[in-house]
Amino acid sequence: MTTLSRTVGAPVNRVEGKAKVTGEARYAAEFPLTRLAYGWVVQATIARGRVLSVEEEAGMRMPGVLAVITHGNAPRLQVVDDGELLVLQDEQVHYRGQTVALVVASTLEQARAAADALRVSYAAEPHDVLLSADHPRLYAPDHVNPNYPTDTLTGDVEAGMARAEVTVDETYSTPAEHNNPMEPHSSTAQWDGDRLTVYDSNQGATRVHQQLAQVFGLDRSTVRVLSEHVGGGFGSKGSARPQTVLAAMAARMLDRPVRVTLSRQQQFSMVGYRTPTIQRVRLGADRSGRLAALDHEVFEQTSTLYEFAEQTALFSRVMYATPNLRTRHRLVALDVPTPRWMRAPGEAPGSFALESAMDELAEACAVDPIELRVRNDAAVEPEGGRPFSSRNLVACLSEGASRFGWADRDPRPATRRDGRWLIGTGVAASTYPARSAPSTASVSAEANGAFVVRVTAADIGTGARTALTQVAADELGVPLERVDVRIGDSDYGPAMIAGGSMGMASWSWAVVKACRQLRADIDEHGGVPDGGLVARADTADDIAAQANLARHGFGAQFAEVRVDVDTGEIRVPRLLGVFAVGRIINAKTARSQLIGGMTWGLSMALFEESVMDAEFGDYLNHDLAGYHVAANADVQGIDVSWLDEHDDQLNPLGVKGIGEIGIVGTAAAIANAVYHATGHRQRHLPIRPDRVLSP
Amino acid sequence: MIPAEFNYEVADSVDHALSLLAGYGPEAKLLAGGHSLIPMMKLRFARPSALVDIGRIAALSYVEQDDGHIRIGAGTRHHDVHHSPLIEAGCPLLSFTAGLIGDPQVRHKGTIGGSVAHGDPASDLPTVLLALDAEFVLTGSGGATRVVPASDFFKGFFETAIGPEEILTEIRVPKLGASSGWSYLKFSRRAQDWAIVGVAAIVERSNGGIGSARVALTNMGATPLRASSVEQALAGAERDAIPAAAAMAPEGTSPTSDTNAGANYRRHLADVLVGRAVEEALGGP
Repeated sequence: MTTLSRTVGAPVNRVEGKAKVTGEARYAAEFPLTRLAYGWVVQATIARGRVLSVEEEAGMRMPGVLAVITHGNAPRLQVVDDGELLVLQDEQVHYRGQTVALVVASTLEQARAAADALRVSYAAEPHDVLLSADHPRLYAPDHVNPNYPTDTLTGDVEAGMARAEVTVDETYSTPAEHNNPMEPHSSTAQWDGDRLTVYDSNQGATRVHQQLAQVFGLDRSTVRVLSEHVGGGFGSKGSARPQTVLAAMAARMLDRPVRVTLSRQQQFSMVGYRTPTIQRVRLGADRSGRLAALDHEVFEQTSTLYEFAEQTALFSRVMYATPNLRTRHRLVALDVPTPRWMRAPGEAPGSFALESAMDELAEACAVDPIELRVRNDAAVEPEGGRPFSSRNLVACLSEGASRFGWADRDPRPATRRDGRWLIGTGVAASTYPARSAPSTASVSAEANGAFVVRVTAADIGTGARTALTQVAADELGVPLERVDVRIGDSDYGPAMIAGGSMGMASWSWAVVKACRQLRADIDEHGGVPDGGLVARADTADDIAAQANLARHGFGAQFAEVRVDVDTGEIRVPRLLGVFAVGRIINAKTARSQLIGGMTWGLSMALFEESVMDAEFGDYLNHDLAGYHVAANADVQGIDVSWLDEHDDQLNPLGVKGIGEIGIVGTAAAIANAVYHATGHRQRHLPIRPDRVLSP
Repeated sequence: MIPAEFNYEVADSVDHALSLLAGYGPEAKLLAGGHSLIPMMKLRFARPSALVDIGRIAALSYVEQDDGHIRIGAGTRHHDVHHSPLIEAGCPLLSFTAGLIGDPQVRHKGTIGGSVAHGDPASDLPTVLLALDAEFVLTGSGGATRVVPASDFFKGFFETAIGPEEILTEIRVPKLGASSGWSYLKFSRRAQDWAIVGVAAIVERSNGGIGSARVALTNMGATPLRASSVEQALAGAERDAIPAAAAMAPEGTSPTSDTNAGANYRRHLADVLVGRAVEEALGGP
């Protein structure tokens, strides 16, 4: 084989781009199957209590109805940790919107009409759906997502605060926010004897396939999950959701394929969201801004079905050097849908609190906010003291300062005005863990000269398939056109999900390893034999053997805002993000992903807010008319760049993962800029116009 | 998102529509562009027994003028109101505002009569027509007509003076003269959304000052509202009286709180936007 110019790093177009824009690419709800039936979820209309009865017989008389599945007739499932998957197993209602029945009919319209007409009666009990920092049932969970300690303590925070010359002690809050991927959650299940095949919209076929095997008590080898194309997930498809189990359950009962697709409104209760957070941050420093103490205490919610504890204070364990550091998480289980992963769980809300507090400290110390962060840069991970594999926060800040034009900034708030617009700029730091998880991959050399890579990766719109094609082409020393990367099929073997910004770091490792093995095999054979060759790789041992280092990406976020002095309207003419995130595989899709993350951050700062209706226990703005996600008209200039960072302590390619760091710190940078423009701190998201005017 | 069951009839004339309405009784609704009614039916906030479609009656779509008025057929689309040279010349406030409604698809389907008859206090056109002292022609059985001034037309939340067996057939708008300045300001958190608050202002200029002013508010109560205190304070006043007058904008209003804004913020916005709208209508010093 000849060595060709490398494609890793190049701005390669998406390999499936044409299939997507022509409609040839099939998403989960688009696979035609003979005798396909459609299920529609009937959701609880109380937030807590019991189902007394379901008028199944009346439902069965509706046109086209094949089954009305309730806790009374549903097959028993194997008990699993995730209570949200144990659908229709008992009469208890844990939140408004929980599944109480599934109506299956010959057409989607018939299923929906019958579901709408189905009468369900309840014994309602008083519900409790509001988070507060003094809730009597707050408790310390065993760990926070995914397996970090709930609390940490280094040194003595109270002593550090007492000694400090300057202190900040403020409470910040972020609202419940919903993921809202463009493609709805959809699952189509088909049984062939005891073999189950599911076309599913998810962020990782391996995990869904494992969960289905568990919940139905099947051998994993008899379950196949396919998710070739996925239209976004943002965390809400990181593991199986109720519709997957419902589709498989109904298909088995009816002995025909069944599809269950959730509506936009249903996704506001059934598939996860970000918990609201209440965060108290206390900082103590000397007059020069050097931290003597950092205390970050978080209050958040989970459901009564499944404990999900967002790792909100994790950010503070990574960012700044201080001798006295304490982080704590307290949780309350409310009668609400289960919160889950959403767009940088932990770091996104945590960075809003700490990076806002750092801006307040900078002002209190009369130190430039960038200089404050440089003075407190950490040589080792502040909690635990592990060395960093690489940390280039300071370089991101200084590169960003230069690109943004920070040097001339007048720190005084509320002093720049253009007509009725007040103008301000703000900065915040960002970080996100750079982890890898065990994955497998195979690559085959075909007799016709092509190479086929098989890995249970998920391309949820990120460009993962394209990036893996580049990785394999380089490793094999062939042009991109000779490499066919196949993903989204659990039969390819276990692999990490597209989540935690770990997808590319994990899959590329397995692909690189398989490709290197294949090249060795080809050399050994003196070429590709007539029957072809296959090499397989599993990175479990490699990852277990890694040195114990702190591995994180870092970044700096800059924002310029204009605030209407009379109406409180906010515009964001400029956002700049500079990131140190290891090697970039595809300059085009990486740029898109980082811009997308920063757009999430803008959206989080100004718009996104799921409003709990305390009387009914429901998120009342449960559609895209009431829940605004930033759209083109909201976004002006976003500039993204990255440092040329080489870190050989990560994985073979030195990939850190870029899926989530773009959102981290963006909301704080905008809030800090709003303060700089107006002189009023914004400690509660979103920064609505009325909040700007009523400090 | 699927409406409850309903009957559907296409009317080919106003008379035909009236007889269909009489046949179905008070639970029937007229359908024009459908861009307000159909979403409400999909959400099942509205469950009419029948829809009588008057959207295809060509005779209801026209723009004409006489000496002092522009007469607009109730079935005229927002797009046509926006682009009508007659309206542009005689009442530019109306053509401007029609261009702010929804998006181009909505403007090609929605009608001026539908917007008025729907009586949504968050809609832009009712406010502008109230400020303009428009008149609404209602046609009843046998072709009998009555004319209701805008000030008597909007009775409550989604409630108007139209009787159960009447159809709004024409909107009459007094032309604005050369000394009239105008403004419509619509404040929303995102493009294409309803106004959180909207303000229409018409100022009769007099020697560099304000001769008289008409000011109306969108989404500050159950109906579009005239800001009478503001109007009185501005009558015969100079430019420097505007801030104090605008501060009276919340008087007599009853705005609601929702996920976009609280009532206090709406009152504040009314003050700010009335000031800006009157300034804009008065024009440069």
